[in-house]
Amino acid sequence: MSEHIIEKLSAYLDDELNNRETQKVEKHLEDCAICQEEYESLQMLSSLLAEAPLPDFPSPKEFSANLALRLPRKTVAPQSSKALEIGWWMAPIGLLTAWAFIITMNWVGDMLGAANTFGLVNITEIFGTGISTQATWSATLSNFGLLGGSNLQWAEILESFTRTTVPQIIFQISIATLYLSWMAIWWARHTRQPTVQTVKKNI
Amino acid sequence: MTISTQANESELVSKAQNGDRNAYGELVRTHSQGVLNVVYRMCGNSDLAEDAAQEAFIQAWLKISSYQKKASFKSWLYRIAVNAAVDMLRKEKRILPNTIEDLNLSDSRPSPESLLASSEKAELIRGAVLSLPNASRAVLVLREYEGLSYQEIAESLEIPIGTVMSRLSYARKLLKEKLETHFFSYAEVENV
Repeated sequence: MSEHIIEKLSAYLDDELNNRETQKVEKHLEDCAICQEEYESLQMLSSLLAEAPLPDFPSPKEFSANLALRLPRKTVAPQSSKALEIGWWMAPIGLLTAWAFIITMNWVGDMLGAANTFGLVNITEIFGTGISTQATWSATLSNFGLLGGSNLQWAEILESFTRTTVPQIIFQISIATLYLSWMAIWWARHTRQPTVQTVKKNI
Repeated sequence: MTISTQANESELVSKAQNGDRNAYGELVRTHSQGVLNVVYRMCGNSDLAEDAAQEAFIQAWLKISSYQKKASFKSWLYRIAVNAAVDMLRKEKRILPNTIEDLNLSDSRPSPESLLASSEKAELIRGAVLSLPNASRAVLVLREYEGLSYQEIAESLEIPIGTVMSRLSYARKLLKEKLETHFFSYAEVENV
């Protein structure tokens, strides 16, 4: 005979086993006197527990009326507080998105430069001119006639700055804002839900 | 619970979340007996149970804006009720019996005749349930007295279904051991 299934009998009694397990338990109970006895004792226990009656509690109407006297008044604004929480999350998420965008653009530029160096892609053929890997996007815009002269120089300086310094600054600010938002939401949630002890004092 | 009752309850919860006290009162009337039942089985004292039930409903009112309709309102409410009962016992520093013999019964091993006295029998069962550890007692009470499914118990107590199964099995095993000398041997003799 297979091993006893005592640990499954409780779930079987509560009809919480799946079909396969139920069939397995039923088959085992037919053959195993020990498990059958255990199952009967669990059934008996369940009937015994039902024999412990409840005392006379107040009716739902009475209970509700008594509770109404103790129920604190509160100003509930779940929608606006939810909007406030979303607002707090939006700032760091927006900054992190901007950071991810700049980094991605830089990677794409770098990869194009690297591909060009190894001869996998001919940037000159694609864009019509040689492009420095440190100023790919501004050079591309100039190639399409959108930038020129001193504007192009400024754009190249700005792009170089954006590649190196800006992502670091944005990342640092994002982390700081994320922490600040988390603190602000935590504080807002805890001030919104006073403890029962505080409420009792106010009654 | 029927679909229309569920929809109605969901509407009442939404209103209560917006501060509607009448809607909350309706929810209290619907669930008061269930909550009283749970906290009484957890505390074992009717006065304590009434206090704990009131605390539970006050807590629920204060926290209702944080209730998300992922779990049923009943499951969410019963979680608060179980915690309120445990807190109440802690506050009262009530020492629950470890064994049935710790109960103040006139005779710790009643005769079969005296067991027929239903109040004494009920007292023994109540004491045995109270002597279970809090975690096992909560699972047993929600299953045996409130008829919650394992899924609902898991939602109520925020534990995995596997833990519900093992705690329930453990609680029943302990209860059988505690009640064995009083009921099971007697029943076997009776059945012969």
